Amino acid sequence: MSTPASIWRQHKKLHIYLNKVGRLIVWTKIFVAPSGFEHQTPYLVGIVQFESERLPLQIVDCNEEELKVNMKVITVIRKIGKAKSEDVIEYGIKVKPRS
Amino acid sequence: MTGIVSYGAYIPRFRIKPSQIALAWGKEAPEVEKSLGVFEKAVASYDEDAVTLAIEAANRAITTGGIDPTLIGGITIGSESHPYAVKPSSTTVAEILGMGTDYLAADLEFACKAGTAGIQLLSGLVSQNKTKYVLAVGSDVAQSRPADVLEYTASSASAAFILGNQNTIANIVDFTSYSSDTPDFWRRDTEKFPSHGGRFTGSPAYFAHVFGASQNMLKKAKMTPQDFDYAIFHMPNAKFPKEAAKKLGFTPEQLTPGFVVPQIGNPYSASSMVGLAATLDIAKPKDKIFMCSYGSGAGSDAFVIEVTPEIKAHQKRNQSTVAKQIKDKEYINYSLIAKNILTKYKI
Amino acid sequence: MKIKIAGTGLTKFGELWNKDLLDLALEASSEAIHDSRLTINQIDAVFVANMIHGKLSGQDHLGALVASSLGIKGAAFRVEGACASGGLAIHLAIQSLLAGTYKNVLVVGTEKMTDATSSQITSALMGAGSEDERRAGFTFPALYALMAKAHMAKFGTTRNHLASVSVKNHFHASLNSLAQFPFEVSMEKVLESPVISSPFTLFDVSPITDGAGAVVLTSESMGAGVFISGSAVATDTVGLSQRESLLEIAASKDASQKALKQAGCEIKDIKLAEVHDCFTIAEILAMEDLGFCEKGEGGKFVEKGHTKLGGKIPVNTSGGLKACGHPVAATGVKQIIEVTHQLQQRAGKRQVNGADVGLTHNVGGSGATVVVHILQT
Repeated sequence: MSTPASIWRQHKKLHIYLNKVGRLIVWTKIFVAPSGFEHQTPYLVGIVQFESERLPLQIVDCNEEELKVNMKVITVIRKIGKAKSEDVIEYGIKVKPRS
Repeated sequence: MTGIVSYGAYIPRFRIKPSQIALAWGKEAPEVEKSLGVFEKAVASYDEDAVTLAIEAANRAITTGGIDPTLIGGITIGSESHPYAVKPSSTTVAEILGMGTDYLAADLEFACKAGTAGIQLLSGLVSQNKTKYVLAVGSDVAQSRPADVLEYTASSASAAFILGNQNTIANIVDFTSYSSDTPDFWRRDTEKFPSHGGRFTGSPAYFAHVFGASQNMLKKAKMTPQDFDYAIFHMPNAKFPKEAAKKLGFTPEQLTPGFVVPQIGNPYSASSMVGLAATLDIAKPKDKIFMCSYGSGAGSDAFVIEVTPEIKAHQKRNQSTVAKQIKDKEYINYSLIAKNILTKYKI
Repeated sequence: MKIKIAGTGLTKFGELWNKDLLDLALEASSEAIHDSRLTINQIDAVFVANMIHGKLSGQDHLGALVASSLGIKGAAFRVEGACASGGLAIHLAIQSLLAGTYKNVLVVGTEKMTDATSSQITSALMGAGSEDERRAGFTFPALYALMAKAHMAKFGTTRNHLASVSVKNHFHASLNSLAQFPFEVSMEKVLESPVISSPFTLFDVSPITDGAGAVVLTSESMGAGVFISGSAVATDTVGLSQRESLLEIAASKDASQKALKQAGCEIKDIKLAEVHDCFTIAEILAMEDLGFCEKGEGGKFVEKGHTKLGGKIPVNTSGGLKACGHPVAATGVKQIIEVTHQLQQRAGKRQVNGADVGLTHNVGGSGATVVVHILQT
């Protein structure tokens, strides 16, 4: 559950992830979404290997056909999910292919 | 002298052609390309907003310039599409950029000139030596009423300028501003989409203020259009800035590098600022640049900018020139726009 | 260890509009207590396994709720470990018997899922994953799809291999009147159904189900019967990204090795198994992780028919999670019941001949909790 306080804590960590390049290990295209993500379907998610950690992240700004195992991807800051109209908007990291 | 130490621009990669928009509404492919001079416009993705766009542009400015974000003591985000009516975009952007806590932040709204207003306001902090750097951003995911003619041009982009007193890549030699209460284009706070006064947006609005500010600027700086290498005017379409330039005595060639509207449409607060970024991407040391923005409601901010030798290093380091981003595109149909409207307005 | 299964009770699994969670729990519990020939007063404790009822309905405190509704005044607990809740409840109940604290305990796993919408359920189930996974918009089908893709890339496992798991389990379910989907499906149907998360189609994914299963366990283990001789739990990282390998569920190996050791058995002694096929790839991984076949050979193992009724080692004669249904916390208990009935020669058309040692394998999340039980006559 994203409360203002939990979003606040998360936002503080985001600057560490700017400009991070990682490798895409594996991905899937989701057609049936959880609540708050229906507006995005279908969308791509995968696991990205960064220098010191592996993270589960959404993959944006590309089509599934462009993805290759081990391709370089770079972090971007985007909106997470779909905030209700009276809620605080959550921002977070996603990745896109690094051109 | 106070000037630009670094800058960055972000243009989302999706593009839509006027014919696709017309198709969605069952209209004939309009004469938009002929009458407005816009061939395609940039469309933000469903998970982008003025804040994420601002972060992209500002991050590029910080990275290209090798700037320590904690030394930025002032930030303004100028936009017509701030995600909140109450809660500043500027603090979210600052937090995510890693600016720390020791800065002044304020959100600005002045239609399409909120970004450039920030440059003028924040430059004072730097020239007063109150802080080493300031960051002025113009960012919009522009709104227009679906099926309205504005839909063919209202687009999304952002540009960020970091100002400082040392190692400037371009100096802000002088600036001025011209304002009046002119209701040419507006949006009441409970309304989803903006309204405009039709032809009233021309002569008494855009042209009156662009002329007013430009003529005052040239007089104040004791310069003529011929003294400049380049000029950028706010670009709501391709016609208005060309006409204003001509009337003032600037040539079409001076406009060329910054003339982004045919390829990306009108990203409101980012329009003239992206044009400036595009111009700086190719400018040479000692080049003189004239810029005049316009914001409905109404006002214009004019600037005289002189490029320094430091520009070369910036151009070398810049991974994301405006020209490169204009080329890096993917065409879409109306479905993403429909999705964005449903998402934004919780329909 | 030798814990006797004194009684079992199982509801129909499916979309049960007229029954709420308590109805289901009471139905299964009453049947199990009756089957055990014990009286209500002899039941010392109730372990209720449930994952998402609190989130969906607002009702927590299920231990006391179920116990008091049955007229039991003893100890009562709710146990949660995502989809391994049922197996965990059995394990904890066994510990209480081994400790001598209780003599006869009731374990009931129950879940009421079909009142909620598909996206609400998808979100609720993501409670079994990590915060990072939820933030990235992951679903459980997506998490297992990543494991499937890794397995396909590394070992050449194909969509047909995955589909053969579904086809076999549906065949088994067609012999099980309590199953949610008691009908066979063809390979084509599985392969051509709508995609849920690439490469999984609708038929690679276990359904949303209501149901409950209950057992009465006793430490008073005189006479013949079915006994639990091994019960072990192992855990791993909640987030899939933090695992050592995407190609196995390491906790399955750990738990099964521990349980087999306790039971004094080897994997080759097992005559049938109920494994956690939340997604088709999960059954293939289980075949490898539990040691029924070599690493990477799971797909072929299933495709060859070795795990079908009549084959080398029948797996998921109940129909598995895919075709019998997956009322999350009830599954672990249902698995125990299926193996118990097989060992009691009570499985009717699904009977595995000469079944005397069985294994159950219950997984929570994408492999963060695994519970393995060994049952013997």
